[in-house]
Amino acid sequence: MITITPKRKFDVPIQAACINVDIFTGKTLEDIKKLAITEGKENLTLNDAFNITEDKTVETPNITLIGDFSKVKRIGQGMKTGEIIINGNAGMHTGEKLAGGKIVVNGNSDGWTGSEMKKGLIEIHGDAGDYTASPFRGTDTGGMKGGIIIVDGNVGSNVGCYLRGGTIKIKGSAGRFLGHHMSDGTIYIEKNCASRAGTFMTGGKIIINGTIELVMPTFTIDSIKPKVKVDATLNAPGPFYVFLGDIAEHGTGKIFALKTTNPALSTYEKYL
Amino acid sequence: MTEILIKNGFVVDPLNKIDCQKMDIAIKNGRIVEKVNEREAKIIDASGLTVMAGGVDLHSHIAGSEVNLGRMLRPDDHVKDAVRKTALTRAGTGYSIPSTYVTGYRYSKMGYTTVMNPSMAAMKAKHAHEELNDIPLIDKASFTLLGDWWFALENIAKGDLVECARHIAWMIRATRSYAIKIVNPGGLESWGFGRNVHSIDDKVPNFDLTPRDIITGLAKVNTMLNMPHTIHLHTNNLGVPGNYKTAIETMQALESVYTGDKPIGHITHIQFCSFAGDNWAHFKSGAAEIANYLNAHNHMTIDIGQVTFADTTTMTADGPFEFSLYELGGHNKWVNSDVETESSGGIIPFHFKKKNAVNAIQWSIGLELSLMVKDPWKVAMTTDHPNGGPFYHYPRVFAWLYSRKAREATLKKCNKKAQRKSLLPTLDREYTLYELAIITRAGTAKMLGLKNKGHIGIGAEADVAIYNINPNTTDIAQDYKPVRKAFSNAIYTIKDGEIVVKDKELVTIRPGRTMWLDVQTKEPCRIDDELKRKFKEYWTIEFDNYPVTDHYIKVPEKITIQASV
Amino acid sequence: MTEIIKSVVCPICGCLCDDLEVTVENNEIVKMKNGCAVCEAKMVHGYKSDERILEPHIRKNGKLVPVSMDEAIYKAAQILTDAKYPLLFGWTSSASETQHVGVELAEELGCALDNCCSVCHGPSVMAIQEIGIPTATLGQIRHRADLLVYWACDPWSAHPRHVERYTAFTDGRFEKSEFKEYVQKLKGKASKKKVEAAIRRTQVRYQPPPRPQTAIVEAPPPTLAKTGRKMIVFDVKKTMTAEVADYFVQVEPNSDYEIFGAMRCLVNDQEIDVDKVGGVPVEYLKEIVDAMVNADFGAIFFGLGLTQSVGRFRNIEIAIAMTRDLNRKTKFVISPMRGHFNVTGANTVFAWQTGYPFALDFSQGYPQYNPGEFTANDLLRRGDNDATLVISADPGAHFPKSSIQNMMKHPLITINPDWNAISRLGDVVFPAQWCGIEQAGTAYRMDSVAISLKKVVEAPKGVPSDEEIIKRILNKVRVIKAQKTRKDVTETKNVENKKI
Repeated sequence: MITITPKRKFDVPIQAACINVDIFTGKTLEDIKKLAITEGKENLTLNDAFNITEDKTVETPNITLIGDFSKVKRIGQGMKTGEIIINGNAGMHTGEKLAGGKIVVNGNSDGWTGSEMKKGLIEIHGDAGDYTASPFRGTDTGGMKGGIIIVDGNVGSNVGCYLRGGTIKIKGSAGRFLGHHMSDGTIYIEKNCASRAGTFMTGGKIIINGTIELVMPTFTIDSIKPKVKVDATLNAPGPFYVFLGDIAEHGTGKIFALKTTNPALSTYEKYL
Repeated sequence: MTEILIKNGFVVDPLNKIDCQKMDIAIKNGRIVEKVNEREAKIIDASGLTVMAGGVDLHSHIAGSEVNLGRMLRPDDHVKDAVRKTALTRAGTGYSIPSTYVTGYRYSKMGYTTVMNPSMAAMKAKHAHEELNDIPLIDKASFTLLGDWWFALENIAKGDLVECARHIAWMIRATRSYAIKIVNPGGLESWGFGRNVHSIDDKVPNFDLTPRDIITGLAKVNTMLNMPHTIHLHTNNLGVPGNYKTAIETMQALESVYTGDKPIGHITHIQFCSFAGDNWAHFKSGAAEIANYLNAHNHMTIDIGQVTFADTTTMTADGPFEFSLYELGGHNKWVNSDVETESSGGIIPFHFKKKNAVNAIQWSIGLELSLMVKDPWKVAMTTDHPNGGPFYHYPRVFAWLYSRKAREATLKKCNKKAQRKSLLPTLDREYTLYELAIITRAGTAKMLGLKNKGHIGIGAEADVAIYNINPNTTDIAQDYKPVRKAFSNAIYTIKDGEIVVKDKELVTIRPGRTMWLDVQTKEPCRIDDELKRKFKEYWTIEFDNYPVTDHYIKVPEKITIQASV
Repeated sequence: MTEIIKSVVCPICGCLCDDLEVTVENNEIVKMKNGCAVCEAKMVHGYKSDERILEPHIRKNGKLVPVSMDEAIYKAAQILTDAKYPLLFGWTSSASETQHVGVELAEELGCALDNCCSVCHGPSVMAIQEIGIPTATLGQIRHRADLLVYWACDPWSAHPRHVERYTAFTDGRFEKSEFKEYVQKLKGKASKKKVEAAIRRTQVRYQPPPRPQTAIVEAPPPTLAKTGRKMIVFDVKKTMTAEVADYFVQVEPNSDYEIFGAMRCLVNDQEIDVDKVGGVPVEYLKEIVDAMVNADFGAIFFGLGLTQSVGRFRNIEIAIAMTRDLNRKTKFVISPMRGHFNVTGANTVFAWQTGYPFALDFSQGYPQYNPGEFTANDLLRRGDNDATLVISADPGAHFPKSSIQNMMKHPLITINPDWNAISRLGDVVFPAQWCGIEQAGTAYRMDSVAISLKKVVEAPKGVPSDEEIIKRILNKVRVIKAQKTRKDVTETKNVENKKI
């Protein structure tokens, strides 16, 4: 296990895509210390900014980060195997393009966490920022493809955009434009969801256990279902209003909104 | 200026009928000369290497409003291909629409020294020139979109071609351009109200004429003005199954204008208008029909618009075509950009896939045409960058042309239906280096009327490319991969007598020139109050603010032409 | 000496009207024709203001003191090279020639580069990147449009000549002006207003009428079905533009997205499960959509009411999606009402050099792009940058307090013609010429047509163009960097020698 702690408080952002189990594997501690990062425009080595120690007795997690990493971007980018634990906040693009392995954040994570992720698991035990699990700007076919993201706290806006597969479980509330343009996959929210969920969606499902601020007029009521399957381990008990949409995109995505927490949606029952 | 002597290279120079002869090329003051002082000159040992003139690309969308909108549209495209700043070069991005500097660098590394920017809306000409200034290392010129310009349409409808010629001469000068570009004549005007024309004899709404009138009218005007290039024509019905008939009708329409001395029309990216079959399900190649026509007639030239199977961005002034492409589905982004009084435009990201039957057949059509048209002087190699694929994929196209083996290797990976429909297995022809030099520099320079480019005879501009190909020891058709690699990065590129690429790396960055025509009609276009009033009515820019001024061209090369009217 | 200069281009808003007639007397603009009130305010009066910066200043012991240009350039270059991650912001009131050098400077510094569009129409650009855009130059709209929709913008106040030059009040080849009709309507309105104002004055204490809780939307007028030009305005309040429109739809704030959604369903002939969206009855929306579908050529213009309200670029995305849907039935275009006269140019110039229109970062040696990560306000809010250069913009007046507070923690360089809010806060303050009045150059109109700005008067003595300042800073930065590397090289050599 490699343990990394910041040597000082960072002002300007650090790009450290090299904090990645695949890259560390097979390297000696000295080699790891020499890996290149940038702090603003300055080119540094990992050792310039962080204290790095190795504990050969512990196998997993492979990398432990201790301290405030909120200014450190791209931790575990494109990682295929292994496990990273961050005891503290994580910066932007954490676990971007993750292709396997596991990243645990014992703190909050910033925007674009798990962006364009393919496989693996990201656990965030605090809040997650905007654009979690959403692709890079203008990428209409690069949404999250698979894997699981679990967020214990709340998430920002535009989470799970262009989702093509995988599961996002949010134990708190979600901001606007949840699952925008998603075509497959599942998003499950235990608490509340802001308006404009599922806009432009063509497939997949969004399950809301709390209240939804407003259902877009581009969704039409389909039925009331007693329960819905989130994934292999979880069946959410209902009853749920099921909305179909986004009809303006001829989509067949589904939004499940719990009946008991959404009395305002009862006006839709007349169309059933 | 330094003198350079390229020694012992295998020179391929079709315009001077030199085919892989071992000889020396001497350079002095930016020109090819008979000899230089060997003791003072810089010697390049080119033994075992192929020496050609710098490449001349006659159709590649590298700058302008449309291109830049495409750049803006696709951050997803750039993020795949970031280019670092070096001590010598600027940073930038690719992939399908590289930023300006990267465009210059990549062309130069491929041994290209001249590139034509074929689609410039007149009203947005200043923008195009500002971008061209930022493309280093290569010479360039732009073609103005004039096929749907109201002044031209009105004059042709009136039958006053002389007046039309004067206006066009004014416009060519005002936009600092090099040729007349016609895109979907009549169609773009119709697109102003969301419609299109579907044959060359459809009536253009609100104007009393047909696409046929526009094409033949402007071809005549082109001849009257003694333009160095022919009209540069993007046909009607582009990208529609069965459109090879339109392409042939268009060429037939131009037969009447032909006087027998030199070609009078150029159909660009003809691959996109050589489709047979009634609909997409019955889509097939019309290459044989087009090639037969071209083999029997001499008044037309073509360029291919080869598909290279890339995740690219299609962009054309043909707005209605891009919309119909968008309606076929599979793309989330669609840009349409109409230009008042003149033109239109459209952009769509497009991924040409081998496993897609239509895409694979399109790939096959491009190669079939290149191989079935017998005279290489009639054919120019392009990918219609970035429409068929980015320009730095050219070496792949070369390989498909000079090596049957390369074609077969790709065809094997294509969609099965496309494989069955392809004519490629029946075609044995393999391009020689000599023919390859024709379709990439000698022929294109000739089509463009660039007398000092495309060859390395005495007096020519010293634009030279040296590739790591030894024609004596290599069978290019068999060993196609190393040759392809050699074409993708020249050992040396020399521009105007200065070495810009050495040992495959850029060593000097210098600006390229922007060529433009000053067409002098016997009687100039009358700039009276009537014209100014009309101008105010037609455009939203004042007459005084419309023309491109000298400020917008850093290194101009003015070419003065005496028109015959 | 009096000189009349024709076809002068107005350097104020994205309309870039180029038909001004300017009278210059003794190197001073004294009169102008054709310009709007905003244009006249700047070109005849504003540029001569007493608040003009005439020489460079550096903050010494907390006070700004005048210094020589050389000293200011050196100081600025030093700040920028010493900082780990500077931000260069502004650019939208500069000529594209200046913006061009700006990208080079940012590249040389390896810093963040952003322009004002991140606080105006950046969301429009981001929406285009998501979905594309069907658009047209303004003349195309002038010649052809028979239905004009202004959504969340008030050209009458912000782009005063937009309606008169490019849309409803101008004669096109295929569509004629509706000017006379509007003038009559306007006259009626004006006299009504005068009466109302007189009544108001008679009351001792004027009480503003209570604002209605929910928007009251009138039913569409029968004129919506007429042939010829029509104008519809969507906004949260009745603006001057709304006053002259055929139909005004007052929408509830922050509900544009839902309305667009509903209208998209209606364009696609689908039923909606609700009766009212964003305060507008669906039956009214149906009539509006009918008018849209039946138009020969429709044009939608949108403003900051869409780009900077809740939903931001998603608002534009859905507006474009609706326009795209409409193109399956008729011809429709959509266009942003760009603000500063060369904000479009900033996007254009940045894009051709780097591939990206704004929100750029060069810290990795190549361009990176991500609004939300590299946009000025996001950088400042998080305190990511450690020096700022502001050129031809005034974030001091327009940015949130938290951003400015963080900006003030680090050195600030400003390049502006006059003492605006941000110049007063600067550590190094440069003067600059007024672009388009004292300095020629290129600007891009809101429909990205390049137009040459003219120089009509001479700048005060010693005041350089911002292009020159940026060029000189760039050169100085290169010199300092070269010195540093030389120093680094000798230092490492010394270290190595000691080791031996």
